[in-house]
Amino acid sequence: MSNQHRLKDNVHNGAVHIGLHVMASRIDISLKNKLPEIHRLAELVEAFFSDHALPDRLSHNFNLAFDEIITNIVSYGYEDEAEHRIDVHLSLTDGLIEAEVVDDAKAFDPLNAPDPDITAELEDRPIGGLGVFFVKKLMDEVRYKRENGRNHFYFCKRASP
Amino acid sequence: MEMIEESLGKTVVVTVKGRLDSNMSKGFETRLMELSEAPGASLVIDLGEVSYVSSAGLRVLLLAVRKVKAGKGKVALCAIQPQVKEVFDISGLSAVFSIHPAREAAVQSVG
Repeated sequence: MSNQHRLKDNVHNGAVHIGLHVMASRIDISLKNKLPEIHRLAELVEAFFSDHALPDRLSHNFNLAFDEIITNIVSYGYEDEAEHRIDVHLSLTDGLIEAEVVDDAKAFDPLNAPDPDITAELEDRPIGGLGVFFVKKLMDEVRYKRENGRNHFYFCKRASP
Repeated sequence: MEMIEESLGKTVVVTVKGRLDSNMSKGFETRLMELSEAPGASLVIDLGEVSYVSSAGLRVLLLAVRKVKAGKGKVALCAIQPQVKEVFDISGLSAVFSIHPAREAAVQSVG
């Protein structure tokens, strides 16, 4: 088994070594459905990007995408008051940064919503819908699927050489 | 996040520090709305120490600007960091907000 594969396996087993400058090419993080969890995630994402010497701008864009998607899930996705788990995956493979958010909230395809009118006059500006629009604009590709009762929101962007 | 309020004559300068996102304090939104609703308000929002703005933050700024305009007042934003400016640009809000690089110019524009 290659060294890289062993590293990946370690991370899969929950030993996330970021911050210790082990070049893990993938991190898996579980969050609770609480808004302050987004700040905890942001720190882990920043560490991942900085460990891989990726530009701050990319780190900012991925954190904004995670924030917008997870804020939607936490704010509108659940019909009970129970604690739920939201799984976040982030990986770097040959310059391609891929991310996925998986949750057991009600089925919701954010890509189905129309884009907001960003040329409207101030008074007519839509208040909602901007978050998902940011993700579409900032990423190379976005995808949604519902599988086994869970929403999977995938997005990726290639790091410029 | 933090919010500092200063009065320069009839202009109020609000300096925000930290992140403007879905975790921002309710107190900040409430206070900003109070300032924006004052008839003929003259308001500057200094974002020089804001490192991050999400759509939740933009929503509050958009509401504030609308309220000031509805009360025939003037409002300007200033010192927006590049990564935050990108979010303003994508949302199209750069075109409808009055934005200045320097705080002094923003204060003059609403005076």
